[in-house]
Amino acid sequence: MRSRSVVVAAIAVAALAAVALAARAPVDGPAPPASSPEAIELTIYGAASLKGALETARMAYEVATPGTTLLLATDSSAALATQIEQGAPADVFLSADATNPRKLVDAGLADGAPVPFAGNQLTIIVPTVNPAGIVSPADVVRPGVHIIAAGDAVPITGYAEQVIDNLAREAADAPGFVAAYAANIVSREDNVKAVVAKIELGEGDAAFVYATDAVASRRVATVPVPDGVNVTAIYDGVVVRTSRHSVAAHAFLAWLAGPAGAAILSDFGFRPPS
Amino acid sequence: MSGWASRSTAVVAGLFVLFLALPIVALIGRAVLDGSLGSAIVSPVVLDALALSLLTTALSLVVTVAFGLPLAVVLARRRFRGKGLIEALVDLPIVLPPSVAGLALLLVFGRRGLLAPPLDVLGVTVPFTTVAVIVAQVFVSAPFFIRSARTGIAAVDRDLEDAARVDGASEVQVFRSVTVPLAGAALAAGLVLSWARSLGEFGATIMFAGNIEGRTQTLPLVVYGEFQGGDVDASVAAAAILVIAAFAVLVAARLFRSRRLMDASGLA
Repeated sequence: MRSRSVVVAAIAVAALAAVALAARAPVDGPAPPASSPEAIELTIYGAASLKGALETARMAYEVATPGTTLLLATDSSAALATQIEQGAPADVFLSADATNPRKLVDAGLADGAPVPFAGNQLTIIVPTVNPAGIVSPADVVRPGVHIIAAGDAVPITGYAEQVIDNLAREAADAPGFVAAYAANIVSREDNVKAVVAKIELGEGDAAFVYATDAVASRRVATVPVPDGVNVTAIYDGVVVRTSRHSVAAHAFLAWLAGPAGAAILSDFGFRPPS
Repeated sequence: MSGWASRSTAVVAGLFVLFLALPIVALIGRAVLDGSLGSAIVSPVVLDALALSLLTTALSLVVTVAFGLPLAVVLARRRFRGKGLIEALVDLPIVLPPSVAGLALLLVFGRRGLLAPPLDVLGVTVPFTTVAVIVAQVFVSAPFFIRSARTGIAAVDRDLEDAARVDGASEVQVFRSVTVPLAGAALAAGLVLSWARSLGEFGATIMFAGNIEGRTQTLPLVVYGEFQGGDVDASVAAAAILVIAAFAVLVAARLFRSRRLMDASGLA
């Protein structure tokens, strides 16, 4: 008896939730034909670092393009690419690198070539009180400065090493500069967010992160890395071959890579891709 | 027990309660104090996810009972070769990491999965849809219900069922009017555990259903997505809503049970 009443309650909850959900977002079903301009829904698979920018971009794009709604799905770029390979219903894939879109192109899962739509440079973050007194990039190799870095497999590590190599070229003793930086590393984190968190908590004196991470955090100060020694991570987007709204998907990607998209992306710390 | 032993037992017990309570208190406290809970309650992302969580967990519970109850009856009542193997198989999702469950489900229902040819013919897509969320929840949570139901049904005195049969009750009537009420507490406990496991389901969902707003993004996925996107406040708020919802159901289930116990003992 009781289990029956619980099941009845479960069905009632399900019905209520279905109504609440239907009022906001359409449930899965056959897509309307692409020719009907009033009902296009694009599923955007976007890298986690793009989340804030994409939420703002969605509002702007839905106003600019009546009848098109955007559904966002976020995760790490590599996870999103794998999901698309496994049949996820993405229309556009916006990656935090150029490697993962290339994977989709090579697997025959892309419709057209990847489009670079944003760039992300590196910056140095320090706790707001700046305990080690870091004022220029070269200060990170001073003895006793506690550097927080990421693990070897994390992309930021490769970019940070390039910046250190570029800085070393300007130093009197290049190999000594690289070695001094390595000696100052006190911790290696799993991802960039964890690096930012350690600096926010004051567990380290300085770290290389993406400019967008520095913009997103209110609890760190930044020491800029000059363009001459900086590197730019390029973000590529690509339309997925299985998209049922290929024209609309290409239009959105072109808009994001164009001036309107660039204006929004720059508010979140991104740069133009070139 | 000596005074010293009983005091130290109480201290250890108290410390452990503190350990279990502190993270929850910190989470709710932060969500309330910085005002993010208030803004999260009206955020469309959180509301969509809450509605989706309620919808999918309710449907998962229906599916779990519809298929799990017959299985529990078979396991409680029948003896057959290979029963131990089936029981172990049913329990397996409890000990499997959910990411393993998500991967395994992809290998069955995915685009290149075992069932891909027949699903293609039918034009059905399971992975990365709302259906996939329910499939993942049922897979990881049904064992909790089946385990509990099997134990409860096995403990029912068969003489009572026979007595009902002698009085002319049909098998369905016996099951409804004797077996289910007598196993009621175990069935209800199984339902609560199974529902709570579905509500908290994360790993299998994100691998098998993805993280698509309004479609597959349940509340636990919002907690992860906001954290990954760098908005820790929104993540904390979504987590607090999840804690409050789960806690409310556990408390309600306890109240319901104690009321029934009082009914049964004639106290109320």
